[in-house]
Amino acid sequence: MFFIISLFRRFILSHIIIYFRIISLMSAMSLRSLNLPGVGTKYEFQTDKGDTVAIFFTKTGTIQMYTLQKGCNTPSAAEMTPVEARRLGNILTGAIIEADQESVEIAFSALADLRVTIHSFLIPKAVAGRTIEDLQIRAKTGATVIAVCRHDMNIVNPAPSFVFETGDAALVIGESDQIKMFEREIMVD
Amino acid sequence: MEGIVLALFLCLVLALITKYLSVPVIPFYILAGVLLGKAGLGLVTSDVISRFFSEMGLIFLLFFMGLGLKPERIAANRSAVLTSGIIDLNVNMIIGFVASYLLGFSLIESLIIASAFYISSTAMAITSLIENRKLMLRESETVIWLMVFEDLILIVFLALISAGNQNLIIFMVKILGVLGVLYALAHYGKEFLISILDRDDELPILFTFAAVLTTASFSMYLGIPESMMVIALGVAFATTDPDAFEQHARPFKDVFLVVFFVFFGVTIDFSGGINWFMIAIICILAIVSKLISGVLTGIAIHGSALSGLEIWGNTIGRGEFSIAIAVLYGSPLVGTTIAALVIVTSIIGSFTAKYSTSLRRGIMNLGRKKAPSHRVHTGR
Repeated sequence: MFFIISLFRRFILSHIIIYFRIISLMSAMSLRSLNLPGVGTKYEFQTDKGDTVAIFFTKTGTIQMYTLQKGCNTPSAAEMTPVEARRLGNILTGAIIEADQESVEIAFSALADLRVTIHSFLIPKAVAGRTIEDLQIRAKTGATVIAVCRHDMNIVNPAPSFVFETGDAALVIGESDQIKMFEREIMVD
Repeated sequence: MEGIVLALFLCLVLALITKYLSVPVIPFYILAGVLLGKAGLGLVTSDVISRFFSEMGLIFLLFFMGLGLKPERIAANRSAVLTSGIIDLNVNMIIGFVASYLLGFSLIESLIIASAFYISSTAMAITSLIENRKLMLRESETVIWLMVFEDLILIVFLALISAGNQNLIIFMVKILGVLGVLYALAHYGKEFLISILDRDDELPILFTFAAVLTTASFSMYLGIPESMMVIALGVAFATTDPDAFEQHARPFKDVFLVVFFVFFGVTIDFSGGINWFMIAIICILAIVSKLISGVLTGIAIHGSALSGLEIWGNTIGRGEFSIAIAVLYGSPLVGTTIAALVIVTSIIGSFTAKYSTSLRRGIMNLGRKKAPSHRVHTGR
């Protein structure tokens, strides 16, 4: 059972980005992608109301987003770093973003519209020093800790005996109800 | 050796300043060379080492250009590439050639000046589109494909001019032979190449360097233009993993190309009686002829002369390829003329690229204002 869960966790982690792309591509019906020599890749689509949005992944590593209102001639542009662009992407998918905590919901349309949420939490003092097993995270909430970020180092798939420290950021996966339960039961502990 | 260090240090300072002001750095590298070299303080002279470094810079620049040329992509956009490309080629080549011939250059010199006069700087055009946030404008795509077309013409030009006084048939057979070998290598050795590029030790970068150098020296040995063969190597390698090759070739290109630009400036000599009037005419014509070709392209492709203004604004700057032509084939006088052409057009080009959108809006507003006021007058 544990083996299956850890396999599933690994599967999710490695495929999140890919699925994310596929889903966002599928939902934008009139999306056009184009390779521009020397510049990079362009994605452009028109909204139902006739506004145009264009995104360029340039070879210099920055991402430029242009929006052009219907009937307008000059687009407005914003230049982003990859991190900023991912943040924007999270906002657009409807995830909650607070100062240090963000959340991503992924829908697998091929799997009976399976929705899983991944949420990051800053570990409070009350939880520091305790292990995953000790906190009974799975039994109490149903959610799973899939990664912990400690001093810019990532620990993926922490063992049940893993001890939290203050300052850790935990990445928790589950259904949105399970995530809410985690927030109520574990974080306030 | 001290000369190179001094030149590189000056370039580093210049690069920092120009990046901060977001203006193109190439003209300043050349000016730095002029200042340090024969025409200026005479602190730096070109020697065997600097000549070798400069040659590396040119070869890696051309290899890089080859990596970006993806034949199948060009074929897919044939109509867009051809219309704008042919207008641009004809207008600028003819104006450049006739002007330099009338100003007293020989036929061959005029042809070389015309080519340098024709070919805009791809690096400057693309940097300007990204930095001035113009990528979404429909004219941007035209400009990008125009640059690709100019690169193709450069290859043809390199082949034609180096064929010069050789037996054409033997020359063509040699070229085709080397091209065949390159494509066979890229085609049948694809898996091997990718396996080398995937390693994370020194092998990928060593391989890239060695492959480019081997191709260049082998071509020289055979008596065919190494510049063209290095581009062909880039095109062949682009069918495997162009991004990896770009990543491994970039450090060589970036450093050696700076040396190339500076020492181009160092070798410039004003003592041979420079006709500043002649140079000024060529520089002014270079800006005007791109305006003509830009407006014609704008009308042909976007149905608007104002679109042409945008194309013009981003293609005025001549740069790396013009200098490459000057270094490969130019006499000292031609070299000085092309150096001035590059310096003037690239500096003016950076301003037109920045302000072309406001210029365009200004002209549109002017047009709007005129129309109603005219009506008022006739009403009275």
